[in-house]
Amino acid sequence: MLFGTLIYGFVNSAILALLAMGFNLTFGISGVANFAYGAVYIFSGFSVWIFLNTIGLPYLISVILAIILAILMGLFIYYGIILRIKGMPLSEVMATFGLGLAIMELFRYFDFVGFRYTLPVFIDGSLNIGDVYIDYQRMIIGLIAVVLTFGLYLFTNHTRMGLAFRAIAQDERTALTFGIDSDHVGALSMAIGCALAAIAAVVILPLGTIAVEGGYEVLINALAVCIVGGLGSTVGILVASVLIGYSQTFTANYLEPHWMMLVSLIAIAVVLIVKPSGLFSHQKELEERI
Amino acid sequence: MRRRTCFFVFALFFLAIWITPINNATAAEPIILGVPTSLGFLEGKEGLSCVKMAVDEINTSGGVKVGSVMRPFKVVAIDARGAEPGVPVSDVIRAHKKLILEDKANFIVFGSFRSECAIACMDVVGQYKVPMILGTAMSPGMQKKVMTDYDKYKYTFRACLNAIYLVKYLGGTMGYLNKEFGFNKVFIMNQDVAWARKTGDIMIKAVYDKMGWEVVGRQQYPTGSSDFSAGLMKAKAKGAQVILPIFDMPQSGILVKQWKSMHIPALMAGFISPLAGPGAWKTFDGKIAGAMNCIFEIGNMPVPKVPKSVEFYEKYLKKYGKPIEAGHSPAPAYEMIYVLKEAIERAGSVNGDKVVAALEKTDRVGAMGRIKFGKDHQVVYGNNPEVEALGCMIQWREPGKRVIVYPPSVAEGKIQLPEGLKSLK
Repeated sequence: MLFGTLIYGFVNSAILALLAMGFNLTFGISGVANFAYGAVYIFSGFSVWIFLNTIGLPYLISVILAIILAILMGLFIYYGIILRIKGMPLSEVMATFGLGLAIMELFRYFDFVGFRYTLPVFIDGSLNIGDVYIDYQRMIIGLIAVVLTFGLYLFTNHTRMGLAFRAIAQDERTALTFGIDSDHVGALSMAIGCALAAIAAVVILPLGTIAVEGGYEVLINALAVCIVGGLGSTVGILVASVLIGYSQTFTANYLEPHWMMLVSLIAIAVVLIVKPSGLFSHQKELEERI
Repeated sequence: MRRRTCFFVFALFFLAIWITPINNATAAEPIILGVPTSLGFLEGKEGLSCVKMAVDEINTSGGVKVGSVMRPFKVVAIDARGAEPGVPVSDVIRAHKKLILEDKANFIVFGSFRSECAIACMDVVGQYKVPMILGTAMSPGMQKKVMTDYDKYKYTFRACLNAIYLVKYLGGTMGYLNKEFGFNKVFIMNQDVAWARKTGDIMIKAVYDKMGWEVVGRQQYPTGSSDFSAGLMKAKAKGAQVILPIFDMPQSGILVKQWKSMHIPALMAGFISPLAGPGAWKTFDGKIAGAMNCIFEIGNMPVPKVPKSVEFYEKYLKKYGKPIEAGHSPAPAYEMIYVLKEAIERAGSVNGDKVVAALEKTDRVGAMGRIKFGKDHQVVYGNNPEVEALGCMIQWREPGKRVIVYPPSVAEGKIQLPEGLKSLK
């Protein structure tokens, strides 16, 4: 039982890390709000389903097309919405959140409701580790989460573009004086964030059903991980995912699953009281204000 | 000359009106049916389609005879979203009030998706004396209210299965499993909503305790949960032979996938809404063989021994071009419109009190079997479709066939154990 809890706790942590990664890159690292993140996740899931089942494309092509669509959507959100209200964070949050609601409710309006919206797993079957069966799809999720986290860390800390992402969040005017085109970087950040949401959708959704309500949960989970880990910190995302993921799994296994949701909320409350900028963030301005 | 022309034109106009065949039903004031449902859930969506199907049929055949006037039904639907997590009951109550006060609904049908909402809305319909027939909510709390304060709550009826009857079907199945295979250890996994909690509670008290089963554990999952590994690992660790799932959320399909991928050596027998319809086999890549699921009301699935259920199922397929996928609600949604029509015609009025009295006298043979309300305003369900309405248990078999295994009156085959699980006898 304990071994099983550890294994499934790892998978849960990997899922949370994957869900939070794109949101963290866009909002945390670049400071560009994308509260349509959950909608992009659901949009990508439904896109794959449509390419696969309605148009009849091969799975791999469907996945690639869905990721490209997510990137295009990110660019549209930036150039179509964010650019017009840039510099007004509250407006950015409200506009993107509104767009997200519209996208999700459109899916509901067009009858994307029911149990039939599922994606096939990448590799069928499961592996027995110490009398605990774990399916290959969950192992793939763990692997992709580790690779992407490491890749994101390298990208934001050791590449010019990654540093530019961070620069526009720290001080856009100073970044401009260094020759960083903030609009170009902001759009790229939004596009990559949406691509990460699409990747998360493509690997996580084969475990279950694509449901419109899932978009709201994704946004809440991403927010929880980012608040606890600290906006903008890749290491923080990793630690927060592990903390929340394992806490949720242990709560489900040794207490009751209906307490699981409380774990995230308690973690958010505690972090906001003790260290408002998150465990690994360095937003001194926020801390000093509190 | 001009006067003659005008006269001629008017004469032609009135003649045209006079000779145009007017359907009395469409000319008369419509009877408004308020439908507050939850379209984000399959049961809500298909239920509304069935309400519309029945209304279309009735209107096409002339409408409802109220006294000497034929009046059509008119559907006014609201997506009150009562089934979704986080939607407060007050929103659903507001939807009911809007239907009654603004849209002037004469009746509420199929209303208040969740029991939490339905029970609260009984006060609303009682206040405005508007009869309401429920088609999804399952908590027996509704009947309790009718029985304890009849004058106030007599306006509420329920056409669908309730938690008590569900327990009877599940209990019968458990008895069969015990008798045939010697199973006596169960692990309960249920959604954390009123009807599912209540069903689990009643199963423990009325079935497992009495039958001498050991309930080795129970886990309750909030609506929207998407990982069931904790419960499945516990079930395996504690040696459960049967897992009783009670869920109606779309994500509950994940439970079946995990059950299969984690090789849990226990029979899945209960209710998981995504497993009810014929599309489940394809949706879950054929990995549901052996799982048993309750179809709450027949008609949602054709039962050859009950011809009306087959007729209804095929009518739906013809009209909408796809089969019914929900195991709960569509057939009662369809039948309740006919039940209401017959009650209005018996009462000769749309007055709430008169229609309530007429509804209590309902006796109709329909898609669900024989439909009669008990004193508590719940349609009586049983095992004989000639005497009562009927639900059934099915088992998924290769290559994607739903085989009715309970009750014996309509059974098509015996329960088969899935791979890896052996009989104790």
